[in-house]
Amino acid sequence: MTASAQWLNYRTPGMPRTPDGKPNLSAPAPKTPDGKPDLSGLWQAAQGKYLNNLAADGAPAPAQPWAEAFFKKIQASDGKGRPQERCLPHGVTDYDALPMPIKFVQTPGEIVILYEAYNHFRQVFLDGRPLPKDDPQPTWMGYSVGKWDGDTLVVDSGGFNDQTWLDDGGHPHTEALHITERFHRRDFGHMDLQLIVDDPKAYTKPWGAKLTLNFLPDDELLENICENEKDFAHIVGK
Amino acid sequence: MGTLKAILKAAVLVSAAFVPLSAQWLHYPTPGMPRTADGKPNLSAPAPKTPDGKPDLSGIWRGPEDKYFRDLAADGPAAPMLPWAEALFKQRHDNLEKGHPSERCLGHGVTDYDAAGTPRRIIQTPGIIAILFESYNHYRQIFLDGRPLPKPTQPSYLGYSIGKWEGDTLVVDTTGFNDQGWLDMEGHPQTETTHITERFRRRDFGHIDLQLTIEDPAAYTKPWTSNLHLTFLPDEELIEDVCDNERDAQHLVGK
Repeated sequence: MTASAQWLNYRTPGMPRTPDGKPNLSAPAPKTPDGKPDLSGLWQAAQGKYLNNLAADGAPAPAQPWAEAFFKKIQASDGKGRPQERCLPHGVTDYDALPMPIKFVQTPGEIVILYEAYNHFRQVFLDGRPLPKDDPQPTWMGYSVGKWDGDTLVVDSGGFNDQTWLDDGGHPHTEALHITERFHRRDFGHMDLQLIVDDPKAYTKPWGAKLTLNFLPDDELLENICENEKDFAHIVGK
Repeated sequence: MGTLKAILKAAVLVSAAFVPLSAQWLHYPTPGMPRTADGKPNLSAPAPKTPDGKPDLSGIWRGPEDKYFRDLAADGPAAPMLPWAEALFKQRHDNLEKGHPSERCLGHGVTDYDAAGTPRRIIQTPGIIAILFESYNHYRQIFLDGRPLPKPTQPSYLGYSIGKWEGDTLVVDTTGFNDQGWLDMEGHPQTETTHITERFRRRDFGHIDLQLTIEDPAAYTKPWTSNLHLTFLPDEELIEDVCDNERDAQHLVGK
């Protein structure tokens, strides 16, 4: 049992199980009462490599010269200056790629994502509202709206500040960043997440990554509040 | 940009200046909000129910007047503290609340998030209620699926919460606190044996009565209560509020 699972190993309500009581992660993906795919549950990124480098799978990110220089500088300094050193939030792509538990709570009007990391949350509105225009106050987590495209939830996010990095490796972005996430729950235990990053002020064209999220059965989020002064002394970085 | 457009843009900026900082998502009308004939939110409409017939606590709520956030016992009588707790409470008061965990961006606990004036969103599903706090961008889960409180637990600021319905009232039990949190800004002590009971009752569409009971034989001679009231915030949205430790630390007061 991992340190992140301490609520009595309480059996996940509604978890499909095989005859011997084991969670059946290959069972069909569930639907909500109103017939939409149900993304609810506890999930965790399957691979850690995207946290370090969102471009881990293929070609380097199509970075503009300033962005390339920034990335190289961060790589050389082992990530010194990353906002999480000061308990400041991860950004959307970083939270997506972080291999720590996240919980999707789905209602007809919104999905809220609860992150074990930093005890933070993110709201994705499904009620048809448009993304805010006219200079919304730029934020760490942006503003997110979602709509269903068949069995895929397509989430658009904007309104970001320029403080976060797209990954721990230091791919930068600007306030012009627009993120598209396509969530598809393939079966009960597996969700495909295609991330597209579009920031014309930092990258010459959109780019991204395909992540997998694994369902975590019989597990629960644990409080994880970042204590700046306790951890600061241990920060590495040149 | 043309003159008319410039004027209109200036008008938008001016009117935006009068919008409370907590309402910046385009004043999107709250879906499902009961309204009077002239389109105003009707906070006196009946309290809604979920599809399975339970009271629905969903929505964005503002906390009570500031005095309860400062001191849960603001309405009197004084909390029935044991001598050590009384001494610690007095020391915290005399030191102008220096040392409160929120100074270090550690957020708040159950009672002081409840009593804070800032908005929180309650999201209700059959198995879980999630409360999203604008302050610190933190959340809290209340499990409605019948699970018992966990033992033992890793002590935490927000504890572990389970809820059940008693008629129209949601009764929430929370344990598993650490001894680092304070129950309020003045510093009523919290320990690892603190047990908080919250009774949420949505009186009508716009109002929740929230009775807090604090029970902790290690700090208090008997249980004591605080009565709070939450008010629905229509046509608003939470705004991100991330605590930046180094930016704000230099402004802290306290001896």
